Amino acid sequence: MGSEIWLGLLSGIAFGFVIQRVGASNADKMARAHLMMESDIPKFMLMAVILSAVGLLGLEAAGVANTRVLPTSLVATGVAGILFGIGWGFCGYCPGTTWAAVGEGRLDAVFALIGGLAGAAFFAHLHEFFIPLLYDPFNVGQITLADWTGSRPAAVVLLVFIFGLCIGAIHFLWKGKNGGQTP
Amino acid sequence: MDKKNTSPIYWPWLPAAFALAGIIVFIFATFGPPASSSGFVSLIKGAVQTVAPGYVENNPHYATMPDTGSWLFAFVLGMAIGGFAAGRTGRIQVRDIPEIWEKRFGNSRIKRFAATFAGGFIILFASRLAGGCTLGLFISGSTQLAVSGLYFGVLIFAVAMVTAHLVYGNTGKEE
Repeated sequence: MGSEIWLGLLSGIAFGFVIQRVGASNADKMARAHLMMESDIPKFMLMAVILSAVGLLGLEAAGVANTRVLPTSLVATGVAGILFGIGWGFCGYCPGTTWAAVGEGRLDAVFALIGGLAGAAFFAHLHEFFIPLLYDPFNVGQITLADWTGSRPAAVVLLVFIFGLCIGAIHFLWKGKNGGQTP
Repeated sequence: MDKKNTSPIYWPWLPAAFALAGIIVFIFATFGPPASSSGFVSLIKGAVQTVAPGYVENNPHYATMPDTGSWLFAFVLGMAIGGFAAGRTGRIQVRDIPEIWEKRFGNSRIKRFAATFAGGFIILFASRLAGGCTLGLFISGSTQLAVSGLYFGVLIFAVAMVTAHLVYGNTGKEE
């Protein structure tokens, strides 16, 4: 086994530990976030992106970043976003949190994991049908905010500003500000 | 509720975001954009390979994805181990049916498990169609300033909020 396996395992353990502790693997907390009753998880996710984007800029300056921007397909990414939102709002798990929740011992997450394996296998089987139909014709390429702002640092500033506004809006519009702990 | 003394203790969101971002930046330096829906594909590929190697070889989706001997699978396996370690050492209450779900739909485990199976099926199907999930497309993508990640992110949050309102109605608001 190469070092990449150990790096993956180590990264996963750290990642799973943090998302369990912040409550992202708790479907109850996730549902309350979607219902605007509890603001921790969305603020956590957006802030993690802000900090990671700044960190990635540093990695790029140091020349050690490995990036791979996924293309935007207006139809495939759009349809997938809507379907994903339905599944996420309905069951309260997303692919990553499912694994942490299974490890934590939540039985309903085990079924989300099995359902996920079935869904991924189903897509893989129909890949040749869906990709040319929904993805390829509407693919506008690997566009990033930097294509619009002209430079990567300026795009990071724009991202930080937009996500910062979202965090502020969530903080003031969502009701729960006490970490979701029932008083 | 009479569970005043057993309130779950969660990490505050801001320091937790610093911790997660540190891990994400580490992953970008040592691997590339982190992803978790790909781990599902790697697991199936590894499993199906042993019984039907020809099918996997001729399938374009499995051809683009590594099998279980990969960073992507080690990562999701690690997430389960991390969840286990955090669960065993913390005070967060673990339930098989979320409280809010039980209030709305009762305590039938079959009903909840069928719902999470269906939900899991939809989110993984959608993730594969988009090329990534909450982590692999929204978080990794937005960190790289990708428009695909931002576009996906706006849709998943908005649709999940509408869906949750339709599913739960006013459940939980009476507290």
